[in-house]
Amino acid sequence: MAHDQPPPQAAEQPEYPSLRIAGFGDVNFAISKYVEGPRGFSQGQFALHMTSALSPRVTFFGEISFSARTDAGTDTPPAAGFNAEVERMILRFDKNDKLKVSFGRYHTPINWWNTAYHHGQWLQTTIGRPEMIQFGGRFLPVHFVGALMEGGVPAGGWNVNYKAGVGNGRASVISRAGDAGDVNGNRAWLLNGFSKPDKPFGLEFGGSFYRDLVTVSASGDFDETIVGGYVIWHKEDPEIIAEFANVRHQDDPGAKPGTWSHAYYIQGAYRLPWQNRLWKPYVRFEHVGVNPQDVVFASVPNLDQTLLGLRYDASQFAAIKGEFRTWTRGEASQRNYGGFFQISFTF
Amino acid sequence: MGTVFHRLPSVRALRFLALAVCALGAGAWLDAGGQPASDIAVVAHPDVPVDNLTLPELRRLLLGDREFWSSGVRVTLLIRAPIARERDAAVQSVCQMTEAQFRQHWIGKVFRADVPSGPKIVYSTEMALDQVSRLPGAITFVPIAQVTKNVKVLKIDGRSPGQAGYKLR
Repeated sequence: MAHDQPPPQAAEQPEYPSLRIAGFGDVNFAISKYVEGPRGFSQGQFALHMTSALSPRVTFFGEISFSARTDAGTDTPPAAGFNAEVERMILRFDKNDKLKVSFGRYHTPINWWNTAYHHGQWLQTTIGRPEMIQFGGRFLPVHFVGALMEGGVPAGGWNVNYKAGVGNGRASVISRAGDAGDVNGNRAWLLNGFSKPDKPFGLEFGGSFYRDLVTVSASGDFDETIVGGYVIWHKEDPEIIAEFANVRHQDDPGAKPGTWSHAYYIQGAYRLPWQNRLWKPYVRFEHVGVNPQDVVFASVPNLDQTLLGLRYDASQFAAIKGEFRTWTRGEASQRNYGGFFQISFTF
Repeated sequence: MGTVFHRLPSVRALRFLALAVCALGAGAWLDAGGQPASDIAVVAHPDVPVDNLTLPELRRLLLGDREFWSSGVRVTLLIRAPIARERDAAVQSVCQMTEAQFRQHWIGKVFRADVPSGPKIVYSTEMALDQVSRLPGAITFVPIAQVTKNVKVLKIDGRSPGQAGYKLR
């Protein structure tokens, strides 16, 4: 499916099921003082997105990604060149705007970026995600397997929306979701609320709360509480995105004091009015601060990073981005810096 | 010569002629219902349970933030292909977006699994009117001069097309 028109189908009586496929891809280039992550050119994720209305009130959404493996061709039998992953698979029942119920595998709706851009690098202004919600990262649970109830009401122009979910939470490898079942007997649950007021149009703000029991193979069970919030100014002149998240871990017997770790970022961008509004400079500051006593996050690195970048929309469906980043990984670490480039597109 | 001068139009006749020309111009400008032909009407299927929308409500429909009418029928948004004046009015005046931003918004909206599909494209006013009269819950934008009787014209912020202060033109 091309995006020549949004969507590119002429009006007609609806037919069910009505499968439509869209895709996203990106190619990257990186060079940095100290090696951290891919060097040189790298194939980004190749993501396929499917939607299919099964009836006027039942819809299927799916997202599959293919990611290049660093161990391709090694081992016996040789490792494949790409990992295929079911990123999202959702079946949703819509009663009305106030109540929609769905089941499946989601991007956890406790972080705005996680549910705004998913695996579509082209959709986001910058090359990469903030570290706090990085794919494969551990600070926040990126995926969530379970059920979700959501909806919204006008609320006198405040347009208040909610999401409430219950699911498996993190797996024993905490960067993974419990796809094949919960690792313990406690389900994770979450609440998310946000507002997109009529005035000023472009503003969005919200917050979320998440609870889970995390089972770490070597260390036992830990209660996990995540509190997050965000403010967004959606217009591109300027675009502002600010988010924070605090994560508390407490060993299940409660013998030791709980620990708080936190992360935040603020990103600003401005679509320049000249040359058909094709250029968009941006800047982002981000911070990840892990409590050294936090056993669950023992291997999660700290981060203080500043990035400056420029996005050029080569067409309505392809963008070229260039970034300079400088960062440290805690007080004792050496400052690193590098240049990053990306071509991202949708098709 | 004197006869010739008697046949020249008088000042009163010139005034009458000027008024007639103005009236003809206005006739071309106004449709049969006396509404400015440049206004864009928001029309819906006759069963749609609203007669008036505020501009923010219309914006939420256009951006897919509202998917259902109060009757429970799903909103079907029909919109002209790019370049059409009706689309420009909807995208620029109502959504306060550029065409590129509007496209990206809808690609993201479908990708986020917020909605099962984006707006449906219509390629002419006739097609828009035909579809909106047949699809329950449908809504679209057409020039007021071309509105037919089998659709419902919605007021925006309490004003009908042609009234002073109407915002879509």
